[in-house]
Amino acid sequence: MGREATMSYVILGNGVAGVHAAETIRQLDPNGKITMISDEVFPPYCRPMISMVLEGSVPPEKLPIRPSSFYEEFKIEPVLGNRVSAVDVDHRAVSVNGKGYPYDKLLIATGADPRRIKADGLELKNIFFMRTETHVRQMLSTLPTIRKALVLGGGLVGFKASYGLLRRGIQVIMLIRSGYPLSMQVDSEAGRMIWDELKAHGLDVRLGVEATAFEGKDTVSRAHLSDGSFLPCDMVVIGKGVFPARGFIPKEKIKVDAGIVVDEHMETSAPGVFAAGDVAECIDIARKTPWVNAIWPEAVAQGRIAGMNMAGRRTAYKGSLSRNVIRIFGMDVMTAGLITPPEAEGFDILKVTDSRAKTYRKLVFRGDRLVGIVMVNAIEQGGVLMALIQSETPIKLPREALLKPSFNFKQLMQM
Amino acid sequence: MKEVVVHPERCVGCMQCMAACAAAHSRSKNLFLASLETPRPRARVHVGVGLYNEGFPNRCRHCDPTPCLLACLPGAISRNAEKNTVFIDPNRCINCASCAMACPFGVIRYHEDFMAPPGKTVAVKCDNCYERQLAGLIPACVEVCKSGALSFEEKADAMKRKTDEVARSVSAGVAQVDLAPGFTLLNAIKRQQIELAR
Repeated sequence: MGREATMSYVILGNGVAGVHAAETIRQLDPNGKITMISDEVFPPYCRPMISMVLEGSVPPEKLPIRPSSFYEEFKIEPVLGNRVSAVDVDHRAVSVNGKGYPYDKLLIATGADPRRIKADGLELKNIFFMRTETHVRQMLSTLPTIRKALVLGGGLVGFKASYGLLRRGIQVIMLIRSGYPLSMQVDSEAGRMIWDELKAHGLDVRLGVEATAFEGKDTVSRAHLSDGSFLPCDMVVIGKGVFPARGFIPKEKIKVDAGIVVDEHMETSAPGVFAAGDVAECIDIARKTPWVNAIWPEAVAQGRIAGMNMAGRRTAYKGSLSRNVIRIFGMDVMTAGLITPPEAEGFDILKVTDSRAKTYRKLVFRGDRLVGIVMVNAIEQGGVLMALIQSETPIKLPREALLKPSFNFKQLMQM
Repeated sequence: MKEVVVHPERCVGCMQCMAACAAAHSRSKNLFLASLETPRPRARVHVGVGLYNEGFPNRCRHCDPTPCLLACLPGAISRNAEKNTVFIDPNRCINCASCAMACPFGVIRYHEDFMAPPGKTVAVKCDNCYERQLAGLIPACVEVCKSGALSFEEKADAMKRKTDEVARSVSAGVAQVDLAPGFTLLNAIKRQQIELAR
């Protein structure tokens, strides 16, 4: 040992995928040189928790997922404050703010940026995205002057923003373009249940409309809607989903689809270049097609796998799986895999609704394998079902048994 | 290091482990006083029913790598290497249920707990009775189990015994060695009753 040349690892992004990759590399290669490049200067933190800072239930100092000594402890050189501007695949180097950083192994874990919308007047003040700790800090500083907020988008970010603002005593109107809330996460039945729950808690949700323009003097004061009406507002939050942050990628050198395409080793089409997290696109276990699943647990898993492969341990990743768990007021919703399968393609659907207990459960099967679940309330065994999807276990139990309240791990042991 | 080992073929589903667990994780550590406490202490081991109504004490496997730890958003879940135990810090937990989504065994529950900030719902699961172990006691579920479905021993010992049992079962001239004759009989009767009822 010691004869080998020291490996030089460069990680783009200090989100959760980058952090787990760095830790895994350090575990396997104590001497390698690790450089982490990010535009965010805040220590690695929990992005999903920023809405709790907006709401006021968690102080900002609880956001970090690693202590401030993280970089030092893992012997990582942090390069913070600027985005990477280019990747030179042929010469194995990335450039940041005019400075070059050579690499032997590169991980692209740049995550995703909020999806922009097309509307007039977006340059006005008090129109926000909610993606980073900085965004929330900016929102918090304007809160004292805000009375009416408009939230665009009925996805998770839209929800969390609405909930947080409501808790701050601000009147919130949500505009959702699709027919029901959380249309990317749940099916229409669960969506309707969620809508009922929201209405019961005083949230003003408008379905089937979107904002087309904003007006005001310096700060926003009114929004034009697609149905021709107007809404007064002094704050707008845009939560229209995210898009992989891959603008700097040379597309002729690295294969790019919606995200950066990776193989089972999280390696891109360029040797030595890996991708993980919200920016990566790998095979989806339930869909059986390449897919970007921009969720926290995937970022952790992919970051670890990328780290192992970068450090020389060839490890394959089975594929990603979309999943989410959402707690809305008194309601728990868990979804995983393929929940609204294309019709007439050999999928079987099993549904059980109990309107009195306010539960709804749906299973989607392809042949004898479980490929998707939707559960509203009573979610404790959801992890067991998700493990069945992930492991693609043939289900030999009667399918109804999976939906019974008595279902538990023991019944699987006898399959 | 000793660990809790589950022997599912011996479980009769009496649920005494659940009561003992709840009491061990109460303010008073006493079953009768615990039943009067607020928040009400709850079990971290969960006896489930199999297809033939046989019992199964489902408890945290303290997996490594740890799916719940990797899924935890606020970093509330940690692993104690010395006792091979996965802990949830109730002060950091934000009750997001990401761990429920990750747990392949369905052993995490969400409720108030006397160890958590008052009025806060948190994720709760088995801690291998860490406090009891520090005091020189064995985990409460094992202590109370009368059928031998739960034992507290070196993993290597348990595996050796099981290996020997399997080896003996294939020895020449042995038709079948019943590892737990009483329970086999009981389970066979239960099985018959249920199949008749169908």
